Amino acid sequence: MSQSNRIDGGLVNRNQPYSFKFNNETMHGYGGDTLASALIANGIKLVGRSFKYHRPRGIMSAGSEEANAMVQLRTGAYTEPNTRATVAELFDGLEAKSQNHRGPLGFDVMAANDFLSPFLSAGFYYKTFMWPKALWEKFYEPVIRASAGLGTLSGQADPDQYDKGFLHCDLLIIGAGPSGLAAALAAGRAGARVILADEDFVMGGRLNSETHTVDKMEGSTWAETATAELYQLENVRMMTRTTIYGSYDHGIFGALERCTDHLYDGSGKPRQILWRIYSKQSLLCAGSTERSIAFGNNDRPGIMMAGAVRSYVNRYGVTPGKRVSVFTNNDDGWRTAIDLKAKGIDVTSVIDTRSIAAPYNVANAATIMGCRVVDTVGRKGIHTIMLSSGQTMKTDCLAVSGGWSPNVHLTCHQRGRPTWNEKQACFLPGGDLPVGMSVAGAANGEMTLQAALTAGHEGANNILSSLGINTASAKASKASAESAKITAFWHVTESRSRAWVDLQNDVTTKDIGQSFREGFKSVEHLKRYTTLGMATDQGKTANVLGLAIMAECSGKTIEQTGTTIFRPPYTPIPMGALAGRARGKDFRPFRLTPSHKFAEEQNAAFVETGMWLRGQWYPIAGETHWRESCDREVKATRESVGVCDVTTLGKIDIQGRDAAAFLDRVYANTFGTLAVGKVRYGLMLREDGIVMDDGTTARMGEHHFVMTTTTANAVSVFRHIEFCRQCLWPDMDVHLISATEQWAQYAVAGPNSRKTLQNLVDKAFDISNEAFPFMACGKVTVAGGIPARLFRISFSGELAYEIAVPTRYGDSMIRALMKAGKAYSIVPYGTEALGVMRIEKGHAAGNELCGTTTAANLGLGMMVSKKKDCIGNVLSQREGLNPDKPLQLVGFKPVDTTTSLSAGAHFVTKGDEATMANDEGWMTSVAYSPILNCSIGLGLIQDGKNRMGEIVTAANPLKRSSVDVEIVSAHFVDPDGDRLRV
Amino acid sequence: MSDFNFVSQPVLGGFSQESQGVSITEQISLGIVSVACPNNGDEALAASAKKAFCCSLPDVSGVEVSDGGTMRWLGLQPQQWFVLFEHGADQGDPLAIIKDQLGDTAYCTDQSDSWVSLEISGPLAISALERICPIDLHPAVFPVAAVARTTMEHLGVIITRTGDDQFLMMSAASSADSFLHAITTSVKNITA
Amino acid sequence: MIINHPLLGPRDAAEFVYLGDASLMNRPDAGSDDAAHAFYEYLYLRDNPAGEHKELWYHEQGDRSWLVVTRNTLTHEISNVELASGVARKAGGSS
Repeated sequence: MSQSNRIDGGLVNRNQPYSFKFNNETMHGYGGDTLASALIANGIKLVGRSFKYHRPRGIMSAGSEEANAMVQLRTGAYTEPNTRATVAELFDGLEAKSQNHRGPLGFDVMAANDFLSPFLSAGFYYKTFMWPKALWEKFYEPVIRASAGLGTLSGQADPDQYDKGFLHCDLLIIGAGPSGLAAALAAGRAGARVILADEDFVMGGRLNSETHTVDKMEGSTWAETATAELYQLENVRMMTRTTIYGSYDHGIFGALERCTDHLYDGSGKPRQILWRIYSKQSLLCAGSTERSIAFGNNDRPGIMMAGAVRSYVNRYGVTPGKRVSVFTNNDDGWRTAIDLKAKGIDVTSVIDTRSIAAPYNVANAATIMGCRVVDTVGRKGIHTIMLSSGQTMKTDCLAVSGGWSPNVHLTCHQRGRPTWNEKQACFLPGGDLPVGMSVAGAANGEMTLQAALTAGHEGANNILSSLGINTASAKASKASAESAKITAFWHVTESRSRAWVDLQNDVTTKDIGQSFREGFKSVEHLKRYTTLGMATDQGKTANVLGLAIMAECSGKTIEQTGTTIFRPPYTPIPMGALAGRARGKDFRPFRLTPSHKFAEEQNAAFVETGMWLRGQWYPIAGETHWRESCDREVKATRESVGVCDVTTLGKIDIQGRDAAAFLDRVYANTFGTLAVGKVRYGLMLREDGIVMDDGTTARMGEHHFVMTTTTANAVSVFRHIEFCRQCLWPDMDVHLISATEQWAQYAVAGPNSRKTLQNLVDKAFDISNEAFPFMACGKVTVAGGIPARLFRISFSGELAYEIAVPTRYGDSMIRALMKAGKAYSIVPYGTEALGVMRIEKGHAAGNELCGTTTAANLGLGMMVSKKKDCIGNVLSQREGLNPDKPLQLVGFKPVDTTTSLSAGAHFVTKGDEATMANDEGWMTSVAYSPILNCSIGLGLIQDGKNRMGEIVTAANPLKRSSVDVEIVSAHFVDPDGDRLRV
Repeated sequence: MSDFNFVSQPVLGGFSQESQGVSITEQISLGIVSVACPNNGDEALAASAKKAFCCSLPDVSGVEVSDGGTMRWLGLQPQQWFVLFEHGADQGDPLAIIKDQLGDTAYCTDQSDSWVSLEISGPLAISALERICPIDLHPAVFPVAAVARTTMEHLGVIITRTGDDQFLMMSAASSADSFLHAITTSVKNITA
Repeated sequence: MIINHPLLGPRDAAEFVYLGDASLMNRPDAGSDDAAHAFYEYLYLRDNPAGEHKELWYHEQGDRSWLVVTRNTLTHEISNVELASGVARKAGGSS
């Protein structure tokens, strides 16, 4: 197809011809085109179907405010729905399809909705789908889901890469139109760190779309010159294709940079980057957006914003029509007629709502003052307009200007409210701007080019002064004169046909009237009831029109009516950009223990505990179920020896003259009395008396302790004791540093654990039972001088040790332990076996330290010293935590030992119904014990210690199970602890 | 001789790469000792550090280089420093190097194995780091011998500028793979 | 948000962990006769001002300082940031 509507001039590069496909038809355009301008060049008017009524729609704007021309861009997994053709840069090989039609674009069967419009007006969903309720899931929702939305998702994973980043500047300038460029020149020349960001791929804003002159140059040439200078300045970061989408606290902005969207192939580079910009000051130079006028059938393809028509003609060298008419309520609209005339395009008429003298003389065009367009004809492209004067005119493009709305969005993201200016018929930024922000140019109501240039220049200079930077001496640039007079005009009351307010959501003037009549009068209600201003364009061209009509309905002023709240993002942000790199296995970091490689070699299964990957079990040949591995590991450990990587436990190095006294305050039990070279179990409470964490703490020296925490609480315990140190007892001499990462630590457990270690620990160190008894600790060396720490502690209930070596030797250590224990058939055991053994031994762990249990609940009440204060001591004595029959941790065995128990089951007295009223506690942990050959459990039950031998029912309504269990001691294995001390 | 073969293994196996004008090198023989000052012991510690290492103690976020450039003191938090120095695995206990000199004037803890240390350098190093580092690395704000502790890709990171285009970055040893991935991805994603 | 750390300068709030009302620094005397009541008030009763609020933030991904931050809960304006240890010492910490 030839470029029938391509004309001379513009900023496109005719030496860069591109071919592209729209609805599978090959077309041609140039570098510098958008998809929209290229479609116009190829004479395409009809580009899509509207959301609700499936009305034929064309391109209505030349920017990010586009409400109609949304396409499905690219193919396969790369496809992106609802891409605005007006901001999609053309590239060679681009493929796009129109959206929201069944059958071809020219004959959409869903267009029947248009004839049903009397039933599809505002509040349709709310009223229609109320009942019968049963139909909702089966009928309404599937039908609505199938009909709603515009484009379609690929259903495949997004193959593109995305990234994020952080930028810092003295001054962020948002928008590179005349005011933004003027500001950037002033600030850049003065040496400030500047970021200049613009959503367009060429800087210059409206300068590229208008025929104004600046400093006696064409506006676009001036912009190019200014841009070239700015690119040379090292202190200025130029960011095209970058939308500042949100303004956040303290000068932080969100920005989306589209890096490869304009390329056929991104070559593996990130498609888009989501930047967080930290600015000391910001200058909003976001310009303004032209809005429409509501009149009958004002949504037809070929009806376009007047400024957009100028963009296509002046910037892109394409004309949206051959016989163009203009409908305006302001002087600026007339520029379209003048510019088109200058390009030799036929302008049939200029219709102005104002009864004043024509502001300009347009040769060979009918200029009709005090007149309105009442209706239009031409289903797939406008061909005729009807005027309030009764005249009828032929036209294939109607350029409409209802005035310009300053882009105040970013001034409102922290609840700032814009204020209505009657003279300029627009909202201007209110007084409550985000911290550090000022506004210049059209965004601030400075609607002429000269005003914008001056405001940008002066705005930047004011900011430089406030930052203490000397301003450069240059003056603001000089622009050609223009007029921006306007008389507000919103909708044509004579129109009998539907008049569109919001093209994207198919909201008409009648819908607004209906919303008012049905009581949805506030603008926020109006928005929700009619969907005015929702979806991708967020009503950039529609909102002011809609609320002006609502104001009219209610007899209020626009000021009284107000606006809806502007929220980020300014334009749509792809989900992929929000996710950034955090996808799949890169969702979050992971932590590996030093034995990870060894564990992989053993085919270990891994479990995520926080960010750690821990060996869960270590299968050997022939084992097909995790239980086989786990049972074997438990038995081998209890019968001989096993080794488990416990590096993940938190380790905190505590030093200071007051270290012991400090521990006495953060632990419920006493540490001041602990001898050097000994370890003690420590119980830590929250201030409310609930157990926070537990672990062992070793006294390495008079003023030196090593505290261990559970894996899960390592960070929160460190934070808590730092709070105690800094906020509660700042004069105590105690210093903390995490040593979790420093040591590779292994539990070596089982009757042969000592013999295993004796093979490894250097002979100079006597670790016999006499020399190194239960709860001893000390520094040793292994394998001929490798430094190590040895602790005689046990979680399994067996004779056991934990031995730590510097992390760099962690891999060697696990292999050495396997070698040292080979004669005793040592096995590595995972977290499953660890869990089984601690349940068999009756040790509380995460399931018991669940944030609701007290020391008394866990049978550790005696540990809360009455002789000293500690965190949680006072409130642990509260009546509410000390009832007559407290929950107590005990063991449970099924009466029928072939049944398995389930954690989370609740206990009721045998014979009672399983109701909340009869609830007596719950099962916290269960395991299959290969030692007892049955399922066993730990649980909290009222007065449990006094109910040994009683049969109760463990009910699990979720699993519809009910098991009779016997209350037994929690210490299933070695209740007297003899094994620990041999 | 022992029956056991103990090998000191760098967390990332001595990783090194040069790509897109940015080089990344794991620092495999770095001794790291944390030094905390006892309450009211500021003067005593200052004196012992001066005597032993000719070093004055930097403020938080400052770095002092001493002993002819072989030792770097990073001011990381009030009353706490990290001392960094070349120290091979065969050179014995890194803690002793510091602790034996400072004696009772400081509380010392060995951190040599706690961190993975990467040097990242080259003219585009900042273009890579700005993708993950929230700290402003502009030379006027973060000059040579500045240090900061911050978060990158959910990981705690200590970063210090060791040259105009050169940084030393330290993060927890256990998440070294994730940390390296964050940095190499940042280099790969340089678009400038 | 940005918290202007007294030692480090401006840092993103993402580096910090929030705890709550700075009155948590005023831990009651466990030995007093009304300790139970005092601890109840200390732990559970809080003002919830619409306006200036002194609160505790922990620079977990930074220098591990606990800070007392004076923040306006309506505007997020931060008017003062102090090291909590300094504040605690001034108040005559209960050591």
